[in-house]
Amino acid sequence: MAVEVIQAMPAVPRAGLLRRFRRAVVRDPLALTGVVIIVLLLVGAIAGPWIAPYPEQGAGQSNVPARMLPPSPAHPFGTDGLGRDMLSRVIMGARPAVAVSLLVVGLAMLIGVPLGALAGYRRGRVDAVIMRITDLFLAFPPLLLAMSIVAALGPGLDHAALALAISWWPWYARLARGTATSLRERSFVEAARSMGVSDLVILRRHIVPNSLPPILVQATIDIGTVILAAGSLAFLGLGSTPPTPDWGLMVADGRTFILDQWWLSAFPGLAIFISVLGFNLVGDLLLDLLDPRGTR
Amino acid sequence: MTRFIVRRLAGSAAVLLGLSVITFALARLVPSNPAAIYIGPKARPEDIARITEQLGLDRPLPVQYLAYMRAMLTGDWGTSIGTKRPVLEEILARLPATLELIAAAMLIAIPTGILLGILSASWRRRPPDLVVRVISIVGVSLPAFWLGLLLQVLFFRTLHLLPLTGRVDPNLRFSFPIADITGFYLLDSAITGNWTAFVDVTWHLVLPAITLAAYPIGLIARMTRASMIEALGQDYVRAARAAGLSERLITWRLTLKNALIPVTTVVGLTLAYSLTGTFFVEVVYNWPGLGTFAVKGLLNLDYPAVMGITLFGAMGYVLINLVVDLVQSWLDPRTRLA
Repeated sequence: MAVEVIQAMPAVPRAGLLRRFRRAVVRDPLALTGVVIIVLLLVGAIAGPWIAPYPEQGAGQSNVPARMLPPSPAHPFGTDGLGRDMLSRVIMGARPAVAVSLLVVGLAMLIGVPLGALAGYRRGRVDAVIMRITDLFLAFPPLLLAMSIVAALGPGLDHAALALAISWWPWYARLARGTATSLRERSFVEAARSMGVSDLVILRRHIVPNSLPPILVQATIDIGTVILAAGSLAFLGLGSTPPTPDWGLMVADGRTFILDQWWLSAFPGLAIFISVLGFNLVGDLLLDLLDPRGTR
Repeated sequence: MTRFIVRRLAGSAAVLLGLSVITFALARLVPSNPAAIYIGPKARPEDIARITEQLGLDRPLPVQYLAYMRAMLTGDWGTSIGTKRPVLEEILARLPATLELIAAAMLIAIPTGILLGILSASWRRRPPDLVVRVISIVGVSLPAFWLGLLLQVLFFRTLHLLPLTGRVDPNLRFSFPIADITGFYLLDSAITGNWTAFVDVTWHLVLPAITLAAYPIGLIARMTRASMIEALGQDYVRAARAAGLSERLITWRLTLKNALIPVTTVVGLTLAYSLTGTFFVEVVYNWPGLGTFAVKGLLNLDYPAVMGITLFGAMGYVLINLVVDLVQSWLDPRTRLA
């Protein structure tokens, strides 16, 4: 996905992206579906404990007499091996999923954007060094670096988030470098430079804020991608630990029973799929609006 | 062209050197005490001291790095803590299983993705286009491990059509054993004319390959669509239309070749995705390849195995990128300038 944003990125960020998005989204049923999904996900993340029919079970409390019940009106998603209501577990899984992705994307931006902006603004040796380091991190197949970092640090949600951020920041560095390179030639930056404004101030006041639109588009799409990545790590046993209602972990837990108690894995996996789908649907339209060639 | 190849090769070599620094750092610096982990939880202080000396962990870091590099270059990738066998040997023994799976997935994904992309571009903004857009977005959003489980329920449990896990029916080991020639079961059974095994292996490949192909299909379809639309907007296409050439001729003979150049990049990307994508597919289908080895290593803190896989995967990735760049520069000479 990141590649596409780089390819679609105009030389200078276009104004009014949000406004154009609002106008376009009502005419695009797919993107509209995506917006609805994202809103539902956020509602689940914020208000999960109040929406879930059995919030205490969602948080991990067991209810052994009701174990492994198939989906029914009382438990639409069935119950798990400890008798916990799966619907509640899935709803309450929204919060860790969203929290991890925000954390990962935020950290990756925090590392990548300043480095990229510096590289694009200063050019020369600084640029060369920063971009070679970036290339190195991008030379690992997706997720492999994150996996080996988690393995080195030990499993856990915080380690998984850190590992994902370490393998994600280079994309933001590349994006920020691209915009910074074109911004440094603009007259307002040149004016600031000729007045003796320090590089640090120029970067903070002019370069970084003006690079943000394409970076925020990338961040939006990445939230979905990170939900998938974090879910994948958790599925392998490299993410959250029980009793966290983590979707990836729930899919892994249900795997042994997949042929008979299919609902244990099916619904948490569906939650991951729908969430990722929502961000990709919205991302598709955002890329469309950024694309100067109109190839979509 | 030669200069481009030389420069590109030098670049790859530099990246590999950098990668070795990162894997070295991960193996030696991140764990608080590599020696203790090497021995396991029951380590006594004197054991740790002995292993520390044996592994050279008491020497300065640059010296350690050089020793690490020499070992890597001479094929000594350490011994897996889990299987007690040399890591490189383990990796190479499992490689054919994984490559067979990836090849099967690509065989499904590349034609399907390109066809869907062409279909979508030639019916732009009409129902078939919408359908293909939905398919490709769904493809890139599906968690492979979940898709695998669903397919198992559907095709094994409900329809009784396809096998659940593994590369081959274990019962065939006695009645129709597969000769161990290349490690690629399809190839080995075909060479020896063992068609019973060949058919069984094919059936075992279907579900894992489809699972691994879902993401690449989505990505390739998207890219083909975008570059087809761009190619169809070129002047030469307008000229061809004005000259009265049929739409079919324009799509298949004129534009497709040009449109496929950017698609090579995406094919490279999806191949690279498959390197780790196969981990999840292998775990779900109990496929005896690199992925199951890697995941087992990750969970058991088998550092030599994990670092070996990481370096091996990164090398594969660098190689794929190199090949993609070379193919692209051969197809489109303009890219040689970059």
